[in-house]
Amino acid sequence: MMAPHFPLVSLVTFLPLIGAILLMFLPADKVRAIRGIALGFTFATFVASIYLLLCFHGDTFHMQLAEKYPWIPKWGIGYRVAVDGISIWLIVLTTFLTVISTAFSYYVSSRVRDYMVLMLALETAMLGVFVSLDMILFYTFFEFSLIPMYFLIGIWGGERKNYAAIKFFIYTFAGSIFMLIGMIFLGWQYHNFAGHYSFYIPDIQAAVASGSFWTGITQWEPLVFWSFAIAFLIKCPAFPFHTWLPDAHVEAPTAGSVILAGVLLKMGTYGFLRFCLPLFPDAIQAQVPILMTLAVIGIIYGALVAAVQPDWKKLVAYSSVAHMGFVLFGIFSLTHTGLMGGSMQQLNHGISTGALFLMIGLIYERRHTRLFSEYGGIKAQMPIYAALFLIVMLSSVGLPGTNGFIGEFLAMMGGFEASYVRAWGLNMAYPVVAGFGVVLAAVYLLYMFQRVFYGPNTNPENRLLKDIKPWEIAMVGSMVVLIFWGGLYPSTFLKPMEASIQATRMMAVNPVGQRPVWEDPSLEIDTGGDHGDAGALVQSSSDSGGHVLYRQVAPPDLHLSPAPAQGVAAKHVGRLVADKAGGPR
Amino acid sequence: MNSNADFTIAWVLILPILGFLIQAFLGKRMIDPAAPAAGRRVMGTLAVLPIAIAFVLGVLVTIRLAGLPSYERSVVVPLFEWIDILGLRLPFELIVDPLSMTMVLIITGIGSLIHLYATGYMADERDYPRFFTYLNLFIASMLILVLGNNLALLFIGWEGVGLCSYLLIGFWYKDIPNCKAANKAFIVNRIGDWGLTLGLFLIVAVLGSTNQGVEGSRYLSYDTMIPALVKALAHSPGLATAIALLLFIGACGKSAQFPLYLWLPDAMAGPTPVSALIHAATMVTSGVVLLNRMHVVFEMSPVASAIVACVGAFTALFAALVAFGQVDIKKVLAYSTVSQLGFMFIGCGVGAYWSGMFHVTTHAFFKALLFLGSGAVITAMAHNQDMRNYGRLSKYLPITCWTMFVAYLAIAGISIPYVFGFAGFYSKEAILGSALANQFPSVNGVPLGQWAGWVGLFAAALTAMYMTRLTWLTFFGKEERWRSIPVSDEHEHEHHALGEVHDEHVVAHADPYGFYLSHEEAAATEHGEAEHHHALDASHTPKEVMPSMYVPLIVLAFFSAVGGWALERNEMFRNWLYPPHGMLPVLGDVKSVPSNVPIVWLSFAAAGLGIIAGIVVYSKGLPSAESWDLRKWSPFRRWAGNQFGFDAAMVSASVEGGAELANFAWKGVDIGIIDRIVNGAGWFAEGLGGLVSFLQTGYIRMYALMMLLGGAGILGWMFYAAHQVAGAR
Repeated sequence: MMAPHFPLVSLVTFLPLIGAILLMFLPADKVRAIRGIALGFTFATFVASIYLLLCFHGDTFHMQLAEKYPWIPKWGIGYRVAVDGISIWLIVLTTFLTVISTAFSYYVSSRVRDYMVLMLALETAMLGVFVSLDMILFYTFFEFSLIPMYFLIGIWGGERKNYAAIKFFIYTFAGSIFMLIGMIFLGWQYHNFAGHYSFYIPDIQAAVASGSFWTGITQWEPLVFWSFAIAFLIKCPAFPFHTWLPDAHVEAPTAGSVILAGVLLKMGTYGFLRFCLPLFPDAIQAQVPILMTLAVIGIIYGALVAAVQPDWKKLVAYSSVAHMGFVLFGIFSLTHTGLMGGSMQQLNHGISTGALFLMIGLIYERRHTRLFSEYGGIKAQMPIYAALFLIVMLSSVGLPGTNGFIGEFLAMMGGFEASYVRAWGLNMAYPVVAGFGVVLAAVYLLYMFQRVFYGPNTNPENRLLKDIKPWEIAMVGSMVVLIFWGGLYPSTFLKPMEASIQATRMMAVNPVGQRPVWEDPSLEIDTGGDHGDAGALVQSSSDSGGHVLYRQVAPPDLHLSPAPAQGVAAKHVGRLVADKAGGPR
Repeated sequence: MNSNADFTIAWVLILPILGFLIQAFLGKRMIDPAAPAAGRRVMGTLAVLPIAIAFVLGVLVTIRLAGLPSYERSVVVPLFEWIDILGLRLPFELIVDPLSMTMVLIITGIGSLIHLYATGYMADERDYPRFFTYLNLFIASMLILVLGNNLALLFIGWEGVGLCSYLLIGFWYKDIPNCKAANKAFIVNRIGDWGLTLGLFLIVAVLGSTNQGVEGSRYLSYDTMIPALVKALAHSPGLATAIALLLFIGACGKSAQFPLYLWLPDAMAGPTPVSALIHAATMVTSGVVLLNRMHVVFEMSPVASAIVACVGAFTALFAALVAFGQVDIKKVLAYSTVSQLGFMFIGCGVGAYWSGMFHVTTHAFFKALLFLGSGAVITAMAHNQDMRNYGRLSKYLPITCWTMFVAYLAIAGISIPYVFGFAGFYSKEAILGSALANQFPSVNGVPLGQWAGWVGLFAAALTAMYMTRLTWLTFFGKEERWRSIPVSDEHEHEHHALGEVHDEHVVAHADPYGFYLSHEEAAATEHGEAEHHHALDASHTPKEVMPSMYVPLIVLAFFSAVGGWALERNEMFRNWLYPPHGMLPVLGDVKSVPSNVPIVWLSFAAAGLGIIAGIVVYSKGLPSAESWDLRKWSPFRRWAGNQFGFDAAMVSASVEGGAELANFAWKGVDIGIIDRIVNGAGWFAEGLGGLVSFLQTGYIRMYALMMLLGGAGILGWMFYAAHQVAGAR
């Protein structure tokens, strides 16, 4: 589909904020109208994001549908937004989950207007994170997303809401402070490098790819890398920075939990893909063993701790730690398969864990407890709910045929490949131990299912439970459809992200001169449809560090062009030609 | 084959999926709660028909396949792209070859008989469509497992059948022991899957890194993978061993080999003989199918093959011994299944893969028959499964008795040497003969394959003996032992109506009369159904079951009797699976008849001795329940009865040890250390704020300011330090 002649990305990003501002002028007691308008705006945003998806071209890794306005020109800060294959699905996931959680918020009855305003503001903040190409803009959205979530937990939360809200805010805020420092460092170093300030990610990446950005200050690269990595590890969250998550999840209202698990955690993994891989190619390779160790510990540790939780939501919260461990495991393998799997697993986790929290919320609204000891045997009482929950749970277990399998399988395979050739200092212990997380996932999830749904129904309060209503079935059902779609025909999701993932990987692992760079989408409104050949990939013929990561670098079915020329100017010199498809991919 | 045939094989897969969808979405609606019988008949028919039609189509495809010359009997049917990323393509393709079609015929053939039987057995079940939903899904998964043309598709089916078995074991979910058995099955299988997945990854990694071009990146598709593997592994036997053993861990899980057999007996203790059977006849054979698919890798590694043979032999012996300690008729059959699977693995381990598949086929006939027969007995005996309450049932259940008797002869391996044998005879003879005839898996000159063969022979004698025990105690003898059960008191009934959780294991041994209500009854009363199984007591008169249940028995009895004989003609089965000039490269030729040992007479003697021993020991019946723990053999009985303590040890190690570890991780590490550090940092900052009281205007702002100041400090330092460095440059 042709790109539209209006700023589509900005429209998607700020449509919810317009809704939020509109709601502020409504009287607080018009609850029905407020709910309707909020749902209408989230739905409109979802539709707009689908239109964005249709305008998106999966055959290039370059930024598309870019918009660029000056903000603080003196410091090289601008309003620059665009989408690529890494962000496009996260944007759609965000808008989709926001529709679902706004619909669920039908159950919220106190201070509805404030609640909806915060939800819509939160959506804009989250979308802003995924579309920003300017570091300062990114940081602004990144931090701005904390505020609505802080209030959602602090006002509509459970018993220990104050503790949870403050812990959530401070913990993640503390992490991102380091990131801000790192960003300022990058902008300042760009000034040293190019003579003027810039916080524009493609600018800095092009400088890094040229190989001379870190020259002379190479000892700073790991430090700056870690200033970003800490922020993202906290956000993911990875062991040992995860303890804010169970508290935040348990105390958050259901919609908050859905958004938190579904989208906010993805900001961490997205950050790794957007910053850490392209901007710190030399540092990340050296840090892989540490990061992979954290991922593997997260997988096992999260699963173990999840298995003994007495609280339903806490169990799912710890399971998030394990699942995000798989995402990190795939990403840090720095193999194409692993990165694809990790990126797929991000989406899967958003859908299936989001759905789990949603379904816990559905029953919480009826029973007002999340303790397993209060449940048991409710399958007979709520057969449809039980069947849907079973499917969502199996997706979380990673059963083949559901989306969870595709992500985990590819992420694990990527990790295995890297370990097999002993790339980045990895060894076979990593995938072997991480693989055991799949067994543990079955342990805690099946045990959870048993405690809630199986056995005799002895609690008299549970005997009054009725099955979920049609609109609730529709809500969960739409997520179940996505679960099977992702599991049976994953190409829908994998294809559009493939070019961007591959380029991002090459930015990280290729030697100087063979790193692809983003084309500068410098037009005020870029007509993204006209990239055509210009978007073809720069491809290298050998890997860095002497590693033979065979398939990701030189897939046997791909012919490679001669090695490209050196330097920043060499933008689209190489070309991937797929012999079977007969065209660039 | 032309595209017409391609279409046909796709329908074989699509039909059960359609059946599954129909049952899942229409099942509840079709059945009127007031008059459920008519709706159940419709749904039952709709459940059986897809499988039966798939069987017919499967026969058509097989005939067409058999018409091809042997070197062309491998047709890949592409359906759609599944996973397709740079450097890895896993298309959804079906493979039509002798191995897959053999399994298709077993699955749909035995499967449709089971479905038919189940329409009768489950006739009074309230959740009738739910049961058939699972059954149809099971068949569909099993078909994907055998028909998929790559290991990832096999893995879909592999986990799919695992899921179905989880659902079927936990079918009567009100009973916690069922649910625990279901969880156990799924989790133990997952341990096997862990090995299998690592095996798949290792294959991809090996093929990728050795620059063996794999056409179209189809790294896991059999047609491209196996030739590439042969080349890649030719000079690295260590890698072949690694891949083979990882795959074998998967096979151990699904095919219930020691030590991952743990789930199968519990699964059998689950609610229905039907689901028990579907495991026994089809699902547990998937491991053998996997080994046959990947036999090239195993043949390249004598070490791995020896391990396969030894594990198989040990499992065969171990499970046969455990079977002597069981009193529940289904549990005896469960351990017998584990034991027979051991035989199949001996066959694969010694390189005679076809004999493993041969035993899969004959075992499917007679084990299906045994399970269906035991189901009929259990139905007739008011859902009491304790053999100590049976006796002389041949008088009341003639059809069940004599069909089961055929199965008994088949599993015992009875033959008239060189004239005729029952089905099990031929397959066991092939396995043991191949084991004894070859030196193949010998490690450091030790012929482990032959040793496995001798152990197998001993296990075969034990098989005949414990099956004699089962048959004699159930159908023959002079006593009708349930007559001596006192009239059940009403108190116990109320007990169950209240839905008390009833642990079968405890009751089976604790009840002074060796009599217990099966939990099925507890579940039925829990459902609030009017259906009331009358209890087994002295006045009970067993009745022969209905036709939909005994017709499958008769069909299976026919195949158990002559199936082996017919398939053995001119080595038909062997040449069908592994033709001398076939597609798959077979490295070594495996003799199936030893030159120096008269295997026919050995088998004959083993079966005969086993039966005689069985009659001698058990003709007087088992000791009564009161003296169960007192007689001379009671320590062995008790020890064997609880699997020599292995199950308990594993469960306590994993469940209790795991819980302890997890609790430590949570309470010790998470709350005790990490969170304490986090909160400590918070308090520290707060304390700092308290010192500078003018800053203390609220949590957030204070903390934010602290961080901003701290951050600015660090930043300034970094600027300064970096400047120094830049200046120095």
